[in-house]
Amino acid sequence: MIEIDDGAPYFSLSLLDGAHWSFPEDAAGKPALFIFFETDCPTCHLTIPYINRLAQLVSESASIVGISQDGEEQTLTLVKRLPILFPVLLDTGLGVTRAFDPVAVPTLFLVNAAGRIIRTQIGFNKQEINEIASAIATAGGFEPPMIAEPFDGNPDRRVGCVSRHLELLGEGEEAEPLGLYSKRAAHASRLVLDDSADAYEYCAQAFADPLPVVPPTVERVDRMLSQTELDPTEIIAHIPPNYGAATVEKIAANAVMAGCAPEMMRVLIPLIRAVCDERFNIHGIQATTHFAAPLVIVNGPLRHELGFASRGNVFSNVARANSTLGRALQLILINLGGARPAEIDMSALGNPGKFSYCIAENEEDSPWEPLHVELGFAPSRSTVTLFAGEAPSGVSEHNARLGETVLKAIAASLATVWSYRLCAMAEAVVVICPEHAKTIARAGFTKQSARAFLFDNTGVPLKAYQNTDGEGVQFVRAYEEVLIGGEPCYRKFRTPESIKIIVAGGTAGKFSAVIGSWSTGSRGSQMVTYPV
Amino acid sequence: MPTILINPLDETPRAQGVAAPRLKTLEGKVVGLLDISKPGGGVFLDHLERLLRERYRVASVVRETKPTFTKPAPAEVLEKLRRRNVDAVIEALAD
Repeated sequence: MIEIDDGAPYFSLSLLDGAHWSFPEDAAGKPALFIFFETDCPTCHLTIPYINRLAQLVSESASIVGISQDGEEQTLTLVKRLPILFPVLLDTGLGVTRAFDPVAVPTLFLVNAAGRIIRTQIGFNKQEINEIASAIATAGGFEPPMIAEPFDGNPDRRVGCVSRHLELLGEGEEAEPLGLYSKRAAHASRLVLDDSADAYEYCAQAFADPLPVVPPTVERVDRMLSQTELDPTEIIAHIPPNYGAATVEKIAANAVMAGCAPEMMRVLIPLIRAVCDERFNIHGIQATTHFAAPLVIVNGPLRHELGFASRGNVFSNVARANSTLGRALQLILINLGGARPAEIDMSALGNPGKFSYCIAENEEDSPWEPLHVELGFAPSRSTVTLFAGEAPSGVSEHNARLGETVLKAIAASLATVWSYRLCAMAEAVVVICPEHAKTIARAGFTKQSARAFLFDNTGVPLKAYQNTDGEGVQFVRAYEEVLIGGEPCYRKFRTPESIKIIVAGGTAGKFSAVIGSWSTGSRGSQMVTYPV
Repeated sequence: MPTILINPLDETPRAQGVAAPRLKTLEGKVVGLLDISKPGGGVFLDHLERLLRERYRVASVVRETKPTFTKPAPAEVLEKLRRRNVDAVIEALAD
């Protein structure tokens, strides 16, 4: 990669309107900012709106120019879709890319009026974007603008994708863009079975998990498609780890196989978007040797509209909506993402939730605001939430008269999540049954104060660390020491928000559950909630 | 009447990659060791590095680490290895 103080290479490339743009001539003696990007790079998509803002603010004093490493059609599509509000050059053949040799995309090169590189930035970084804006403003003699605000909902920094010229295939070849953000794919192929074939047997062999599926006939898939206005060829997401295109039609075919009612399409589309949200990291969840499976939590009026069960037997075989939505998600992860057990999915013990893992919150029997309202959605909105969870672990407590006693029973279970001595890593969903919720609320607990109580009362006694062999002991310097009931302990969770509380289950029976997480935070999986 | 099914499997077209040429010997080569950042990975790779140097007489060993084992290696990590002109990379996990 060319470095700071190098002279920027001279070049001439076509703009999208066919005109030419040449360096240094068209920079006209002003600083220039070159942004190398790919059309299918999520980090480029994240960066470009900030560069739009910069381009509008400094258009008089600098040339802001994008350099696309992809073809005219893909570039034009992205320019319209994002949109891109600064001139974009097509680096057909990647000659200019090779001359600048960026490691990754996006890479920004800031060139001063004398044609020397004065700053480079690889990937997305808010602080560096602001510093580039500041450098341009200083050269132009005006007040530096704030381009990338902290806490605007985007991360402070994110790594980019490998630059197209480094995606080496055979000698002299460059990779075609995967089209990760193209909107359309081809129609699914048709499979014609002759009269002698048993469609159920064929499907069970060809594309199920070990349970039988409903054959996705043209008629059944059409009924599913009739419930959405989206084009069957529209790509909703690419499913990791194989990044298979989940078109509306492919989603519908898998939904048919899972036994979904056609109305379930309106939930499946946002659910597939959610499961491919990078924060959720389905790539890792699909490939890990851990137990994790995506748990779907449904909130809002949708529960009644489509018949999701939230009371008795909520984790099991009680409602078509729960069982088929969870199963459709799993079939899509396997058939489009490639997470076949013993191939990509290498879980040591697996998880019964990999057949189906979908519950709804029992909002009616809860004394507290439901999960989606707690997260900022209106009560009238419906949402799907995804959590990478283990199987539920039961907390039975029949004799407690006090809310604190119930919460302490739950805390004792929470303390063993992942493994008993590992602190400050795992998260947990606490599913509180209505009877327990009543007892806790009667003691005056709000959802927040119940969570704070669990946070403050979940810990691992220091004496458990006397044996220095085993998981969790190597990180003790990072743990917080607290007193719980007079006993010196390490705090189990990083923050109160590491504990997610929902109310579900039947109104009879004092049985709650704790669901442990996989690896969490930006290095693992973060819970995501999408509106339906 | 034949049954016609909509194919529910992944049909995304993909470009074919070409595997890198295989080394005939490790002697005199630069070998990259990529630690995926699981606990214990360093212990394993230290031993491997010793074997590569003593038994296979490699010219040098370049060590890099992924920021997290739960996600693919970012471009920067791969580029660092590329820039050191490694002849081969061994990616190793441990627990």
